[in-house]
Amino acid sequence: MPVTLVDRLPLPNLKVYTAGSVLLLSVAVYYAISVTNDPNWRTNTTLQRQEAAVVGSDVESVISPPTVLAPVYAANDTRNLTEQVVEVMTFMMQEPLCMWSVINMAYCSLGVAGLAVQRLVFGTLRVSEAQRVKDKFWNYVFYKFIFVFGVVNVQYMDEVLLWCSWFTLLGCLHLLAQLCKDRFEYLSSSPQTARWAHARLVMLLVGILCAAAALMVAAVRWGLPAGRDTFAFMAAECALVCVPTLHVVARSVLRARDADAAGPAAYYTHLVFDSVALVTELAHVAHMVVHSNALVSMASLVLLMQLRHLLHALLARLRRHRLYTALADHMSRNYPMASKEEVEKNEDNCAICWEPMKEARKLPCAHLFHNSCLCRWVQQDASCPTCRRALSAAAPPAATLPPLPQLPPLAPLPPLPPLPADPADPAHPAPQPNHFFHFDGSRYVSWLPSFSVEVTRVRAPTAPPDASQLDAMARQVQQVFPQFTLNALASDLAQTLSPDLTVDNILAGRLLPRQHLEEPTSSVNTSVIPETATNGTSDTTTPTTTTNNSSTSSDSLDAGSSTPELASQHDEQMGESGAVQFCSSAAEREAALLRRKRHLLAAARARYLQQHQQRRQQYQQQQQFPQQQPRS
Amino acid sequence: MAGSALRRLMAEYKQLTLNPPEGIIAGPINEENFFEWEALITGPEGTCFEGGIFPAKLLFPPDYPLSPPKMQFICEMFHPNIYSDGRVCISILHAPGDDPMGYESSAERWSPVQSVEKILLSVVSMLAEPNDESGANVDAAKMWREDREQFNKIAEKLVRKTLGLPSP
Ligand SMILES: [Zn+2]
Ligand SMILES: [Zn+2]
Repeated sequence: MPVTLVDRLPLPNLKVYTAGSVLLLSVAVYYAISVTNDPNWRTNTTLQRQEAAVVGSDVESVISPPTVLAPVYAANDTRNLTEQVVEVMTFMMQEPLCMWSVINMAYCSLGVAGLAVQRLVFGTLRVSEAQRVKDKFWNYVFYKFIFVFGVVNVQYMDEVLLWCSWFTLLGCLHLLAQLCKDRFEYLSSSPQTARWAHARLVMLLVGILCAAAALMVAAVRWGLPAGRDTFAFMAAECALVCVPTLHVVARSVLRARDADAAGPAAYYTHLVFDSVALVTELAHVAHMVVHSNALVSMASLVLLMQLRHLLHALLARLRRHRLYTALADHMSRNYPMASKEEVEKNEDNCAICWEPMKEARKLPCAHLFHNSCLCRWVQQDASCPTCRRALSAAAPPAATLPPLPQLPPLAPLPPLPPLPADPADPAHPAPQPNHFFHFDGSRYVSWLPSFSVEVTRVRAPTAPPDASQLDAMARQVQQVFPQFTLNALASDLAQTLSPDLTVDNILAGRLLPRQHLEEPTSSVNTSVIPETATNGTSDTTTPTTTTNNSSTSSDSLDAGSSTPELASQHDEQMGESGAVQFCSSAAEREAALLRRKRHLLAAARARYLQQHQQRRQQYQQQQQFPQQQPRS
Repeated sequence: MAGSALRRLMAEYKQLTLNPPEGIIAGPINEENFFEWEALITGPEGTCFEGGIFPAKLLFPPDYPLSPPKMQFICEMFHPNIYSDGRVCISILHAPGDDPMGYESSAERWSPVQSVEKILLSVVSMLAEPNDESGANVDAAKMWREDREQFNKIAEKLVRKTLGLPSP
């Protein structure tokens, strides 16, 4: 993978890079100034170019005939500073080396700015965030490369440069949006209410939105004249930045309002944003496929693969939504909401989330729960969490139950939409599971490299066509009921032939979740001994030196606990101060927890030694002679 | 999703701190990750594990309390219901659907009304009375049945180890 390759490259860090870029730029500027100091530089350079035998028509037109030289000369003597600066700029734009150093500087300052934003808003990135950003970056580079050279099919250097700068800016926004999303998820899952961190995040999100809007304006300004296709591409790219950003904003608004995470408001917000993002991307990719008329190129193959993937994602999302509505429907039909008096009479909190209830759903066994809590639990197990009574027993028997979904019977799912017949795609014959693309860059632009990409498809081996259909259905049901194995679902689906009926079975408790075998966690050392144990075992003790033994071993942990009396003092202290309060700051809580643990251990050790001292003494008396080797 | 799990874990942590059961301490070591707790369990009195302080790790799923946490002792353990890598096998920690042993009634299994405190208390009673039908550690189960004296000796050694005392 390219990522690992890049990791291994000795890339300079940003400081070195910045210093290098600044140095390069100043050298270029110095060179430009020294050249333009000579008032005749225009003629000189053009002459040099002419000599270099790059005789293009435009170059010739620039050359002024020698007769015009004299007035230019005269004018140049009286140049003021602005003119000189303009001249230096013009020269730098003309001279390729200078121009590259300017571009390099632009990227460098973008990198510095990105780092500054990262420092300001995110602080140090967590490992997973950094990894996600890296993945996203390479994915982005890959697809934009395909886009620039495969779809737009640019021919000229300046076009490439324009697209590159466009995608660079857009890419920065994408990466920042990704970071925001990850950080938002992290923040909302951490217990401390970090208001300031949230505020900074929201500010950055607004900034991203503004920048995306500016890019949109740029698209209207420069993209529209270049053709409707170009404009559509640019607009779609902007929209693809905006939608996830708005999603994060919406989520933080929901959170700020303390909305129910499993409630309908949150659910439909997610649904809308998910589907808008998917539809936009789908349309964008489809447009690209249509636009790149060379159908048998690697670019179109990659795009078709992506199109297919997006289509699947969209369909899966919609099916999940259908199952969700079926579930919600089932709940509301079978378990009524509790009346106001019932909720008021019931003083307990919801047993699932331990939070008070303003409104509740009532099960046949008269136990009350939040609607959303119950909804999530029923997806897992169809029984009352409190009394474990099966819900299916209380519901009317399945035979009299009207077929659960009033939706039109789910048509047999279309088999996975096949890729359009593609002569260059050898993967359709079953035996070869991988796509192998060869990209001949020189076909597009002479200086492009050629490379090959292998795309692996992960797919369950499904031989009969019937089985693949079942598999797809089982997968959708599994998205709603993740605790069921595909096999279990498939075998039920084989009988019901409809995901909705299978959901019905699950809700009625006729289908049991998978045998959940805990996989051994390899990360945990099998024999982690508390670190004090090693200290204790290091001194060889004989049964004769009891007192000595007790003091040395406890030295290692807590000097104060060396005698039972002191340890009991600790106990008292704990009773007075440590145990009764629950601190408000995380650091204090952590420290208090550690303290309490130490005290528990010290007290236990002291008690143990006290109890065994007598036994040891008795043992000592039995052994009249001192033993030298430790008893094993 | 994770938000409600966190609120509930915080509530449990608070309750366990303010009103701890005898000889039990539990809480997240680092609150950056609230889904990983460490618990200290005192060996029940009058049993071979008496006096020991057994550290264990609790790993909570993001959809806690809908799914049970996983529990694993991080000290050496020798017990019929504890795997050799420290994982605890008791019915309260099993999700409603699964039944690796095939004998548990669903009433004993995980449900959101259970809590960390109940889990730890169950573990204490498991230490006191192993369930030798569950074969998490077959050797320990066999020794528990057939050679109690040897079992007690091993337990004594483990107790000393957890207290940081050298083996006699
Ligand atoms: Zn609730
Ligand atoms: Zn009930």
